[in-house]
Amino acid sequence: MRGWIILLAVVVVLAAAPLGLPLFMMTLLTEALILGLMAMSLDLMVGYTRLVSFGHAAAYGLGAYSAGYILLHSDTPVLFAVFIAAAMTGIVAIAAAWVFTLATGVSFAMLTLAFAQLLYAIAFQWQQVTGGSDGLAGIPRRGGPFGFDLLTSKIGYYYLVLLCLFGAYLFCRTLVNSPFGAVLRGIRENENKTRALGYNTRAYKIGVVAIAYALGGLAGALYAPFAGFTNTELLFWLFSGQALIMVIVGGAGTLIGPILGAALFLLAQHQLSSVTETWAIYFGLMFIAVVLFLPEGIWGTLMQRLGRKTQRV
Amino acid sequence: MAFLELDGLTRRFGALVAVDQVSMRVEQGEVRAVIGPNGAGKSTLFNLINGVLPASEGEVRFDGRRLNGLSAFEICQLGMSRTFQITALFPEMTARDNARLAAQARLGGRWRPFGGGAVFAEAERRADAALERLGLGHVAGEVAGYLSHGDQRLLEVAMALAQRPRLMLLDEPTQGLSVEETGKAVETLTELLSDGKLTVLLVEHDMEVVFRLAQRITVLHRGAVIADGTPDEVKADANVQSAYLGGFE
Repeated sequence: MRGWIILLAVVVVLAAAPLGLPLFMMTLLTEALILGLMAMSLDLMVGYTRLVSFGHAAAYGLGAYSAGYILLHSDTPVLFAVFIAAAMTGIVAIAAAWVFTLATGVSFAMLTLAFAQLLYAIAFQWQQVTGGSDGLAGIPRRGGPFGFDLLTSKIGYYYLVLLCLFGAYLFCRTLVNSPFGAVLRGIRENENKTRALGYNTRAYKIGVVAIAYALGGLAGALYAPFAGFTNTELLFWLFSGQALIMVIVGGAGTLIGPILGAALFLLAQHQLSSVTETWAIYFGLMFIAVVLFLPEGIWGTLMQRLGRKTQRV
Repeated sequence: MAFLELDGLTRRFGALVAVDQVSMRVEQGEVRAVIGPNGAGKSTLFNLINGVLPASEGEVRFDGRRLNGLSAFEICQLGMSRTFQITALFPEMTARDNARLAAQARLGGRWRPFGGGAVFAEAERRADAALERLGLGHVAGEVAGYLSHGDQRLLEVAMALAQRPRLMLLDEPTQGLSVEETGKAVETLTELLSDGKLTVLLVEHDMEVVFRLAQRITVLHRGAVIADGTPDEVKADANVQSAYLGGFE
């Protein structure tokens, strides 16, 4: 109950943010929430199922390019385009996950990386659709339907992102507390035993990968019209690694932690990069410190200190 | 037709024949032990029965249904639950959550990605009943990884029981236990198996345990069956004495 009140308070504060923050801060905050959604989706795999992915940029990039293509080549309103792109990403992910789950452990992670690199190569080569090395530019935040044009403004779009993140959080929280989520934790702790108990663990893994990619795709789809462009960097392995760092720094297996990790990452990038070009080194040092001294991540450690075991099963 | 039938079941690993033409009939309500020295193929036999390993030859029929080609989780869904020789638990979950996840596997809403209050409630009811029967009620809230080895062994049996199986495969339930722990475990198991409602196939090393728990015994030696009968028949069998029991009594 207390948790819900705090959550509601945070959402209210975020919803009121445009009243007090200058526009450039709102831009930063929007991007932080988008990255937070991306990191949270990865947490379903890494934190709750211990399926480590080195290629979550695939989800983000696929969502971004799909939304960008739809918005550039049709009259679809941005409100619909992002969800169509997310669904497309999820569907592609079912096929990809069918392949990933032929392997386990490190081989699984390598297959996710290979898939992302494959998409990266395609994005480079398939000029007509992806724009090649230029990427897609001039992606509109198209209003509609029925003249609904709130989302065309930066502030209006911020609210769409906020609602998507909040909705996705509630969805993920429900999922991890459901019977399905209990099986995911079983797979995390002992997959062979889970299978021996009569669970088709591969089907559960394909399911969670598809959901994680759909939500990661939603994040990418929100990013494309926010930034107005896509480029191949969105599919690059560096971004996959960064997403993994956000999850670990924030606290894997907490959903909230990765959102914080993403915000922290973006803030560090923004603040440090204006001071030094080698900002990544400093963030790297912070990452090492977290892994050494806060193995549960920032949020995970905080929750442990507060003695609140929120996890069921 | 017997409840569980093995026909010429064989498993080869390269040149090694781990399980060699094993045929066996187990009736409903029977407690059957499979014994044999180390490397006799007992655990491999279990892995063939519940689908962890594919057989090289022969077949398994469970309640009239041929199991060849089914995977372990499908066979479990037919009502065959097993424990492992090396304790297999969810070490970070509580004992109750371990048993609850086991029970959930046999409920219709086990995969539901939302809600699930009714599924959890029923699973918990079955889990608590199973824990109680194995005398683990007082440690239900403890994290499984921190339980004593003896309690961990019994927890695995409780997990199998929480699935309300039609056939239970117990792979050395007293493996690695101290003398006192074994005594306590055997008492608990004797009580569990005495009501004759469970059909159990049991692999066991400890002869005392076997003679107390099992109504019939099958003896494996180098992967093949060398004797099959009541405990007294098996004890008296000359083959068994030379191959295995030598010096036991």
